Amino acid sequence: MALPNQQTVNYPSFKLVIVGDGGTGKTTFVKRHLTGEFEKKYEPTIGVEVHPLDFFTNCGKIRFYCWDTAGQEKFGGLRDGYYIHGQCAIIMFDVTARLTYKNVPTWHRDLCRVCENIPIVLCGNKVDVKNRQVKAKQVTFHRKKNLQYYEISAKSNYNFEKPFLYLARKLAGDPALHFVESPALAPPEVQIDMAAQQQHEAELAAAASQPLPDDDDDAFE
Amino acid sequence: MYQGLGFKGFRTMDDLEQAILIMFDESGTVDLELKQKAKEYCDKIKEEQAICRICIERLCFSNLVQVQFWCLQTLHEVIRVGYSSMSLDERYLIRKAAFSIACCEGFDDNSVVRVLEGPAFIKNKLAQVLVTLIYFEYPLIWSSVFVDFLPHLSKGVAVIDMFSRILNSLDDELISLDYPRTPEEMAVSGRVKDAMRQQCVPQIVRAWYDIVSMYKNSDQELCTSVLDSMRRYISWIDIGLIVNDAFVPLLFELVLVDVLSEQLRGAAAGCLLAVVSKRMDHQTKISLLQSLQISRVFGLVTDDGDSELALRIAALLTGYAVEVLECFKRLNSEDGKAVSMELLDEVLPSVFYVMQKCELDSTFNIVQFLSGYVATMKSLSPLREKQLLHVGQILEVIRSQILYEPIYRSNLDILDKIGREEEDRMVEFRKDLFVLLRSVGRVAPDITQVFIRNSIASAIASTSDRNVEEVEAALSLFYAFGESVTDEAMKAGSGLLSELVPMLLSTRFPCHSNRLVALVYLETITRYLKFIQENTQYIPMVLSVFLDERGIYHQNINVSRRASYLFMRVVKLLKVKLVPFIETILQNLQDTVVRITSINYSSKELLGSEDGSHILEAIGLLLGMDDVPATKQSDYLSSLLTPLCQQVEALVMNAKVLMPEERPVKIANIQQIIMAINSLSKGFSERLVTHSRPAIGVMFKQTLDVLLQVLVVFPKVEPLRSKVTSFIHRMVDTLGASVFPCLPKAMEQLLSESEPKEMVGLLLLLNQLICKFSTLVYDILDEVFPAIIGRILSIIPRDAFPSGPGTNTEEFRELQELQRTLYTFLHVIAMHELSSIFLSPKSRDYLYPLMQMLLYASCKHREILVRKACVQIFIRLIKDWCAKPQGEEKVPGFKKFVMETFATNCCLYSVLDRAFEFRDANTHVLFGEIVLAQKVMYERFGDDFLVHFVSKGFPAAHCSQELAEQYCHKLQGSDVKALKTFYQELIENLRIQQNGSVVFR
Repeated sequence: MALPNQQTVNYPSFKLVIVGDGGTGKTTFVKRHLTGEFEKKYEPTIGVEVHPLDFFTNCGKIRFYCWDTAGQEKFGGLRDGYYIHGQCAIIMFDVTARLTYKNVPTWHRDLCRVCENIPIVLCGNKVDVKNRQVKAKQVTFHRKKNLQYYEISAKSNYNFEKPFLYLARKLAGDPALHFVESPALAPPEVQIDMAAQQQHEAELAAAASQPLPDDDDDAFE
Repeated sequence: MYQGLGFKGFRTMDDLEQAILIMFDESGTVDLELKQKAKEYCDKIKEEQAICRICIERLCFSNLVQVQFWCLQTLHEVIRVGYSSMSLDERYLIRKAAFSIACCEGFDDNSVVRVLEGPAFIKNKLAQVLVTLIYFEYPLIWSSVFVDFLPHLSKGVAVIDMFSRILNSLDDELISLDYPRTPEEMAVSGRVKDAMRQQCVPQIVRAWYDIVSMYKNSDQELCTSVLDSMRRYISWIDIGLIVNDAFVPLLFELVLVDVLSEQLRGAAAGCLLAVVSKRMDHQTKISLLQSLQISRVFGLVTDDGDSELALRIAALLTGYAVEVLECFKRLNSEDGKAVSMELLDEVLPSVFYVMQKCELDSTFNIVQFLSGYVATMKSLSPLREKQLLHVGQILEVIRSQILYEPIYRSNLDILDKIGREEEDRMVEFRKDLFVLLRSVGRVAPDITQVFIRNSIASAIASTSDRNVEEVEAALSLFYAFGESVTDEAMKAGSGLLSELVPMLLSTRFPCHSNRLVALVYLETITRYLKFIQENTQYIPMVLSVFLDERGIYHQNINVSRRASYLFMRVVKLLKVKLVPFIETILQNLQDTVVRITSINYSSKELLGSEDGSHILEAIGLLLGMDDVPATKQSDYLSSLLTPLCQQVEALVMNAKVLMPEERPVKIANIQQIIMAINSLSKGFSERLVTHSRPAIGVMFKQTLDVLLQVLVVFPKVEPLRSKVTSFIHRMVDTLGASVFPCLPKAMEQLLSESEPKEMVGLLLLLNQLICKFSTLVYDILDEVFPAIIGRILSIIPRDAFPSGPGTNTEEFRELQELQRTLYTFLHVIAMHELSSIFLSPKSRDYLYPLMQMLLYASCKHREILVRKACVQIFIRLIKDWCAKPQGEEKVPGFKKFVMETFATNCCLYSVLDRAFEFRDANTHVLFGEIVLAQKVMYERFGDDFLVHFVSKGFPAAHCSQELAEQYCHKLQGSDVKALKTFYQELIENLRIQQNGSVVFR
């Protein structure tokens, strides 16, 4: 499986289908992987872009052919025809737009109609944005359908590898599989420091769990 | 291989098939241009009149899955988008063809392709086409689709499988509520379900039963898919069709027979769960639950918590328990309650077991369920033996759930990225569980305390490889439990507390070096301090915990820093009891204090310097007590203050010869020192410093002088300014009026070239002074007022801030903040009998602009509270500056300004504006002030006010003579409340007459 001018490779490769509403960041996500971006082939006429993304695992190299499908219907093309022979999938939604999460079940259904029983990851993208509409606790769809869920931020590379690692483990049937080196990623576009964000959240949580102080702390500190 | 670019002459494959293959190519060997051509060709075919016929033909005679898929996709699209414009013949054709293919009709002809033998995705696509037809045609046009299908099931596996796919697709595409649906789709779904219930559901259920009975041994995969499909329908079909002497035994048989596949047994369990979860009234439900004899499956709950079957059984049992609990809550009859409690008692042990052994997918439900169960106990005291047993089980579930995984131990200890993620996750995860723990603690405090004690004891004794985690969990339980213990109970050491706290204090945990253990240990001790307060014999133990390597001297910086803060809390609470220990404490802290007071941070160390503040605050709290002898007190204090001040002096003296690159570090050093002194000073009260121990006051006064030097030597350094300002705030509180002599110089320094943010800080300091000393600060204020106002008026707009794009910047926000603080400042001045400041010769120039600004804000400021403050200022000024009628004018022109401009604009026009919302609480209060202003003006100006306000203002607002007279009458009366009510009516009246015209805006 390869696209024009792409060498077929002599290591395991898998067709990965990425679906989700338009604007959820599917293209931004796959483009973070620089080698894939370098080799990708754009086929605008049929509404899909295929990016070969390589990862290095402790069991050797593997390749995901990421079929980045157009979220918008207007591109026409083969729509669920692209899913044929898909071996794994990512469903993407945007945590800052509630409707994109509401449509996740529909994407899942359309995907499963063509690809029965493949490993699927649900990704909530744009967690770097402050004004979230879909909170982590509200994301429950993956539990019903036994999918894996990850919060990601394509723009800041947060959790970029997690979905691929999960899929690689499932496809290899090896829960201990791990990546031995990081792929080359485009530098983060936003300077949202997730560590700081988490620290901030942890502090808030810690603050909330503290009992009220015995007396007012001094007013001017 | 695709040489015939015109799609010609490729043996059996025709042009369309070739084009489809090219379009679907995944090999990557087809060039783009060709693909584009193929797509255009296929799109053209789609436009053809006979597209349906073309698709059906290919579907029947092409072996290529891509072609089949394309044809089905195209058919689906044609029906979905163009059903209403299709001819009857076309509809008939599709209906007949799709149906025949789905149930293998007319397959005698060998050339016909057998779709049902093809890949799953083609069959699913075919099901989708059929369901789309059902959407448009069932039950009115194609009423027999289901009943016609049933006889074909006897043809065997392929047709049965297809039937299940159609039912699944019907559920997915139309019925299931898991997907967003339009109102129209909901209506169609209701129609289809009604028709099916009436027409064919019993036959379908019968078919399911027959199939499963017949194939359960020979084709388990088929039975699994039939049951999975049936599970989807149970929620809306007659439950009697499933819950009967035939089907229930069959389902249990499937679940229990261990020679069957896990998938089939799991699917049967899934159907039972659907039965259990079906909505119905609770009396019926409890009978149903009772009739199931669920105990039959308890034996399947095993240690192998991760197998598919185990998970399905776990889901069945928890689902069952949830329903029983719900019945218990809803049923009022004695009998109903008894039966549900009995069933609950029966199922709970298994539920507790699976909660601990299985990876249940959502813990949230566990907590919710258990909380619900615990809530039922509140009404049932005393608890029965069985319930007490269950409480113990619940606690065990909580304990097992909050355990960290040992694999993260070192990550958590050094707090790297993984450790931090894991800790965040656990903190979040524990929240609900701890809420549950506390409700258990309220229902059964004794058991909970015994459980905690045993957990701690067994964790200490444990030699398992997760003993660190067990200790951490046990301590966390004790910590979380403390949140629900009342002060009284804690002081009294009720229950086991009087045993638990000393036990905690005297225990040496082998894993005390672990960050999490050390932290939760210290937090827990701090939480139970109220007990120590009453049992002072334990104080030495508490002190040694905080003052040795378990606390402030812990090897992990995160622990020692937290220990410093908590130690300060300990001192705050226990300080009177700590007097005998002061010597010991100070001795123990000597190293730390030396480190803090000889501050010489490199820039790297700066990060860890905050712990110093807490230690010094603790020391200050101890030293500041009256019980400390005077000489000791001043000796101790000077031993701390002197080195700190000397350092500042040294830095100040050498400031001129500093290299530019040294500056930031030195500035940071000074900041640290000021913060340290500030913390230290918190423990000294004004009473002590100014009355009982004046020597201490002198020391702080000298310190203040030293620190004020910083402002001179390092002018315009924002962080230093704010730190010194904080210290002045503190000294104002501590030293009282004796700070006055220092203030003018300090103000001058703080004022020079200050940024808006710094100006706000200065105003706050002045506000503090005015509120504390009122007229005593007149001279100081008189000195700085003109400079402050001059500076502020030059940087903030006199009226509204611009709005719209580009104005939501930090700079604007700072200016708005400054403006708000300025109004507060003016308000504070007016309310503390200092309004004469506005008239002082030095400030007189600013009187006019200030009045204009106040007038604007009182009428139009965006924030109602600011408007209120401004109106209050005017009321105050009128009282201060205007004597009774015929009196001499203290401020020439002010009376005229107030009557002609303020009264009309603020008291009349601004309230006539419809944006003035009477129902808003703040606005209502503002309105009260506006009415009060009128009353005060009338008191001071008498008829002059009436002449202007009523004779000139009212007519312009189209106020009738009659209303105007009534107004005068009310104004002259003594009832302000009545005046307010009347004036509101009058304004609302005028608004109606104005009829939306906004002449007065």
